[in-house]
Amino acid sequence: MPKKVIEIRNLSYSYPDGTAALKDIGLDIFEAESLGVIGPNGAGKSTLLLHLNGILRGNNHIRILDSEINERTLSLVRRKVGLVFQHPDDQLFMPSVFDDVAFGPLNMGLSKEEVHHAVQGALKEVDMLDCIRRPSHHLSAGQKKRVSLATVLSMSPEILVLDEPSSDLDPKHRQDLINVLKRLSITKIIATHDLDLVLEVCSRVVLLDNGKLAAAGNVLEIFNNRKLLEEHNLGIPAKLCRTV
Amino acid sequence: MPAFGAYAMLIFLLVFLSKIPLMLVLNRSFSVVPFILIMSIFIIFIKPGEPVWEFSLGIFKLSITNEGLAMFLNIAAKAYLCGLCMLLLMLSTNFLNLLKALEKLRVPSILIMIISFMYRYLFVLEDELMRMKRAKDSRTIAGSRWFHARALANMLGVLFVRAYERAEDVYLAMCARGFDGGIRTIYDYKLRIKDLCFLATAVSAVSIIKIYIG
Repeated sequence: MPKKVIEIRNLSYSYPDGTAALKDIGLDIFEAESLGVIGPNGAGKSTLLLHLNGILRGNNHIRILDSEINERTLSLVRRKVGLVFQHPDDQLFMPSVFDDVAFGPLNMGLSKEEVHHAVQGALKEVDMLDCIRRPSHHLSAGQKKRVSLATVLSMSPEILVLDEPSSDLDPKHRQDLINVLKRLSITKIIATHDLDLVLEVCSRVVLLDNGKLAAAGNVLEIFNNRKLLEEHNLGIPAKLCRTV
Repeated sequence: MPAFGAYAMLIFLLVFLSKIPLMLVLNRSFSVVPFILIMSIFIIFIKPGEPVWEFSLGIFKLSITNEGLAMFLNIAAKAYLCGLCMLLLMLSTNFLNLLKALEKLRVPSILIMIISFMYRYLFVLEDELMRMKRAKDSRTIAGSRWFHARALANMLGVLFVRAYERAEDVYLAMCARGFDGGIRTIYDYKLRIKDLCFLATAVSAVSIIKIYIG
């Protein structure tokens, strides 16, 4: 039995305006597994992800790597859990690509050489090393997306949490991203509408709808349940269409 | 007054050395002129002294004085030269390097951070406004000027709300990467002999003009 790295119990969350975004979620995530989080628009996928490194904290119980998230463990949790936001313009806020990718490592208190090393490594991983000195706002949407991933990879997290990592990417860079994700052996949690990415990268999948956990299980088991996917406004992954 | 001429010569020498087209600098510099005039025009009337010309507007009596004119020219020339210097700095220096230099000059890091955010998100907001305008234009066939003005006002409102919400999201993204209020950056520029020589030459040139020409 692999080690449990994230334990979520009775997680409910309402936004300040009263909208209930998550209702009584319970979920375990195990070491080195890749978990896909799927669901229609507004299902609460992003809200769930924001709980995983303590950005949002409700009245609930979440344990990350054997420690409860609270004020004391917050910086440790954020060091271990790398969260990439969906919109690159939120993720990239420094004037140059280098400064952005160096932001996390600098906050971790690494030395100058270590920071340089981490930045180079992370940018190389996403094929953006050529752009290291460029200002972030001059990059294309897909390039920004890849740099966004690098900003978190440079912190060498133990758990990688991604919100819509493949949106805006061209087919080649989407495939490159999938390859990067497959190569990384750390725990990954990926919220996406890209079911084919889930099929390639993830071993297990949870389906959220209307803030509730609608289904959870093995990827093929869920994806072959056509009725379930259609009930929740999700299509059939292109790769499975032919076989069904 | 001749000192200003000497300072101007110095600036043009720098423009020449920086290989930036002189016309570009001059063209851009005209955009600061209206601001200089608005700021300094009142000095002509306010400064007491020998009147050269007087006229009355109803109960107000305005008089232009010799001293006022002299001071106005003095201030306007100074401001214009300052404008030229700023332009030269902005045109010849990469914005990133400028931020790093400010950091080295011990400008408070919170100020540098504000400037760098402004620089980063100005373009994002500009793009956003442009996209909204495009989306509006492609759905507008006709309509009165008043209708368009109202649409524009709505767009500005939306832009403000989005900027406000983006600020929150950016802050969350910063927290997610371990931001705790402390601002840390990497500085890898070095002061070289060349830079020191340039600094020494510039300071002595300005001092010589100040001492010998006045």
